[in-house]
Amino acid sequence: MTSVAASAPPLDQSLVRRIRSVVGAEGLFIDPDQLLVYESDALTQYRHPPSAVVLPRTTEEVSLVLALLHAEGRAFVPRGAGTGLSGGALAVGGSVLVGTARMNRILELDSENRRARVQPGVVNSDLTRAALLQGLIYAPDPSSQSACTMGGNVAENSGGPHCLKYGVTNRYVTGLTVVLPDGEVVELGGLEREPEGLDLVGAFVGSEGCFGIAAEIELTLIPESEGVRTLLGIFDSMEQAGRAVTDIMARGLLPAALEIIDSETIRAVEASIFAAGYPTDAGAALVVEVDGVDAALDAEVAIARACCLSAGAREVRIATNAEERLALWRGRKKAFGAMGRLAPDLLVQDATVPRTRLPEVLRQVGEIGRRHGILVANVFHAGDGNLHPNLLFDRRDPDQVKKVEAASKEIMEVCIRAGGTITGEHGVGFDKRAHMPLVCSHEVLRAMARLKEAFDPLGRSNPGKVLPDGYGPRSGAGARGAEVGRGT
Amino acid sequence: MTERVTGGRVTGGRETGGEGKLGLVLAAQHDRLSNCVHCGFCLPACPTYVRLYDEADSPRGRLYLMGAVAEGRLDPASDAFQLHLDRCLGCRACETVCPSGVEYGFLLERAREVARDARPSSFLSRALLVAIQSPVPFAIWMGTSRLLRWSRIPSLLVRILPSSGMLGTARFGMAMLGASLPWRPPAMRVEAGRAVRDDMAASPATTPPPGPGERGRVAILTGCIQDQLFRRVNRATERVLRANGWEVVSVSGQGCCGALHAHGGALTDAREMARRNVRAFQATGVDWIVANAAGCGATMREYGHLLEEGAEPSAREHAPSEDASGPNGRADDERDRAAGRWFSGRVRDITEILAGEGRSPRRGAPLPIRVAYDPPCHLLHGQRVRTPPLELLGSIPKVTVVPVPNGDECCGGAGIYGITHPDLGGRVGGDKVSAVLGTHADVLVTGNPGCAMQIGAGLRMKGSGMQIAHPVEILDESYRRAGFYAG
Repeated sequence: MTSVAASAPPLDQSLVRRIRSVVGAEGLFIDPDQLLVYESDALTQYRHPPSAVVLPRTTEEVSLVLALLHAEGRAFVPRGAGTGLSGGALAVGGSVLVGTARMNRILELDSENRRARVQPGVVNSDLTRAALLQGLIYAPDPSSQSACTMGGNVAENSGGPHCLKYGVTNRYVTGLTVVLPDGEVVELGGLEREPEGLDLVGAFVGSEGCFGIAAEIELTLIPESEGVRTLLGIFDSMEQAGRAVTDIMARGLLPAALEIIDSETIRAVEASIFAAGYPTDAGAALVVEVDGVDAALDAEVAIARACCLSAGAREVRIATNAEERLALWRGRKKAFGAMGRLAPDLLVQDATVPRTRLPEVLRQVGEIGRRHGILVANVFHAGDGNLHPNLLFDRRDPDQVKKVEAASKEIMEVCIRAGGTITGEHGVGFDKRAHMPLVCSHEVLRAMARLKEAFDPLGRSNPGKVLPDGYGPRSGAGARGAEVGRGT
Repeated sequence: MTERVTGGRVTGGRETGGEGKLGLVLAAQHDRLSNCVHCGFCLPACPTYVRLYDEADSPRGRLYLMGAVAEGRLDPASDAFQLHLDRCLGCRACETVCPSGVEYGFLLERAREVARDARPSSFLSRALLVAIQSPVPFAIWMGTSRLLRWSRIPSLLVRILPSSGMLGTARFGMAMLGASLPWRPPAMRVEAGRAVRDDMAASPATTPPPGPGERGRVAILTGCIQDQLFRRVNRATERVLRANGWEVVSVSGQGCCGALHAHGGALTDAREMARRNVRAFQATGVDWIVANAAGCGATMREYGHLLEEGAEPSAREHAPSEDASGPNGRADDERDRAAGRWFSGRVRDITEILAGEGRSPRRGAPLPIRVAYDPPCHLLHGQRVRTPPLELLGSIPKVTVVPVPNGDECCGGAGIYGITHPDLGGRVGGDKVSAVLGTHADVLVTGNPGCAMQIGAGLRMKGSGMQIAHPVEILDESYRRAGFYAG
């Protein structure tokens, strides 16, 4: 894959003046040194500095900014907190980065109708914290929920550990105020869950910033579960943990979450300040969480416990209070950050395979790592077969970089061969667009390109993402900073 | 001119070697810098990010700028590096939420050393550090301050000076000075003596008073500003320790801990001060070295690290001496390092000595007051001491402890941040003051002089009469009323 970008020129003075008049002096950054910090998101393998960063505060400001950029033919990339792991917020080709960090107001929280209307910069866990005052929660809970923003969740159609039972973001978005790439503001969906006509909200959620910017988001909240029980099974091997997952699902349980943490990850977490008290010699740990009507939960826990033990668990811990529950979860939720302990650099893979193929795929992933001499640490949403192999390396060693790339590609191929796909929840972004033809036919890719064209005819919204080279609107030379990835 | 990677993927190999000494200082920290996986979990915890929303003013962004200097693709004299590092409060709240255990505070100090070598820091910051280090100017400055404080002129000036501009800064300074005045405990009732005895009799049986020195021997860091403006806190610390069975050893030859120097990147000076303290305290052979100022405690806990680097390349460059056993030779270095490690392992906050891990201070007389506790960042995030101050306060009969909402966030004090960054510091401080006022407490309790003066100044400027005290001062008053110090 080559994607060396001809960087777009800096904004000219009159455009700077006009953008400043919209967002104020504190809302536009153009110093190239300062812009360095925006050259990567949470995927640091790539560096694409933007030509400017704009931080609007309102829908109107987003609209005015996009209209100004449109008039100048400049491409843009939306960014929330930059916690994405597929390079979705990279300013490929020096696009102008439009950040939503200052759009962080909860506009409305209607507890009777269980609805919230938020700006895109609201942090996921801040929404749940506010909703909890009314006994409600926002269900999707990505592991980065303490930092990631709702706009990013919409763009990536984010999942999270509890999505096995509750579903991912698209199940909760009922309406959107979208600013299209030319600055036009459109209302998609609305209060009704089943709006008349085509489901444009459904099309927009998961569009990875390629269709415009969601400036306001209307969401469904759900009541906090009456009860919740969390159980941690410690296994000597990954196979045993995988068997426990299969048994639990076969027994008809639908846990809120089923998460596996492998031995390498356990060691990383235990070495970090978020040490959760997992035994460091374990082969795998399985977190099972069941929630719902309190009276039913003890029976469900008993079933899950029996499944773990019959699969060979050496120990099963059951959290008895909120504090213990958080401790059991800590090892999973903080796993990604804790990897920083094991090696200077980290590549997080994200793929989905049929649940029953998990043990076999994991064995192959382990072999690939060993063959290339790359340490691979796995955490995953076992309930829906969503794997996150973490490849650890040091980017200063060109040899390791090559090995990681090769191993990463092989892991993806293994997943596809097992009937899986190339991403579970992190999105395609920049990182995986070249692999799209492995899972999508030419016809499907062309259909996607045409859908993008309907929203973004000139290809200026987040160029160089999702669709592989050769697909997408023909922008010609119109979009400065968007010349990347056209043709092959 | 620095070279920038403009797009494309990062391939193996360092882009360009960190040219020159400045890059090398940070390049030497590669392992610590690369612990950051860029996950972004620190963003919502950073007081400057949640106000400016610029990632360059977030911990992740600042680490990225440090990394860029280390890689040789950012000039440490650049506006971006200077401004965004300078704007950091150094509160280290990011360390508490960092899943990778990035030692942000440590890296910030090294980065600030690089920044100030590349471009001199502001006059005010330099003047402060020089003044603290030089005995005569420091004595004059502190003497004048005490005199001024005694005159009650600061309170008057706070009322009449305008709130912005140069005079606004002066007003803030006066308010800080006014806030350093002792707290006034509520008056004891006339029949207090009997009431106290009754209350004590009604309370659960207390253990007999510990014998003098039976717990062990400790020494207190008396500090610089603490010793001059908050000597009463040092005295209270000493009395309270004795009342709890500790022998308190006085240490001559100790001085300023060097925290402000280290935070400002004046590491050579900080090291010199660290060495002096390490030598002074080591001679006493005490069990614990007690700090009652959170900022000092946090820095003293890091003396080991600080002295470890004492003879690293940057220092050797200045003296490419062939005589390794000279005045700063290898043997001395090694001795300093060992002593630094010993020292760091012995430092405890006063509240940790008295409370926590199942221990509780001796129970004194009731003190019917409502206190709001605001944790100093360098205690909470810098030393990871969260519960001992609360347990200490909770052990005092009749004291009601209320938390300050969003108390984990910095007060904006951060040395003289309120003076060097009046706007941003004012925003951070203003939010803290509003939260404190919302508690309707009688006394705001916090264990660091800088925080006490920062929050106190904010309260004074809002016309609030809320008192400010150190946790041990509350305990001390309870002991005084119980008659522990009589005879």
